[in-house]
Amino acid sequence: MPYYQTWEEFARAAEKLYLTAPMKVRVVLKYRHCDGNLRIKVTDDAVCLQYKTDQAQDVKKIEKLHGKLMRLMVSKESGAMDTD
Amino acid sequence: MVLLENDSFLTELTRLFQKCRTTGSVAITLKKYDGRTKPVPRKGHPESYEPADNKCLLRASDGKKKISTVVSLKHHVRKIGVGGWDMQIARLANVREHWLVGPILGSMYMNV
Repeated sequence: MPYYQTWEEFARAAEKLYLTAPMKVRVVLKYRHCDGNLRIKVTDDAVCLQYKTDQAQDVKKIEKLHGKLMRLMVSKESGAMDTD
Repeated sequence: MVLLENDSFLTELTRLFQKCRTTGSVAITLKKYDGRTKPVPRKGHPESYEPADNKCLLRASDGKKKISTVVSLKHHVRKIGVGGWDMQIARLANVREHWLVGPILGSMYMNV
């Protein structure tokens, strides 16, 4: 599966894929400190979206997307907010 | 696969990152989880489980050791997101820049 060249395209495609199949989609992060790169994969076992980077500034972008997807998974469908 | 509480998972995740500084990789997987603990029944048998809608499963591995946790509340999501893997990577990425600078400066001195 090819790696996306731009972060924006990857993030848009990843969120769209999650919203079409929330129970099937998994997000995989793989970090290799010895090679200095971080890879992210979002897949529903039919479509596979991948992005890799060796730039420290991309870590923040990847973290935001990861957090956004986690929040989508944890929020109830009815839209009720947890009181923290 | 060890199923841990959120805080223990974060501690063990930190250990995984520290172990993999010189060699190896850390893989973190995130997936929506409906809370089922029994396998899906065969056709013809009634599904006796009410799926939950507000949980996700986080797994981490270094290739040998595997850990996992279930995240179900929004404030736990903030804790895992903020105090979790991105801080580990940011810290390690800063350390790596120092490692790169050393050899580059060394080779510059050698050429002079």
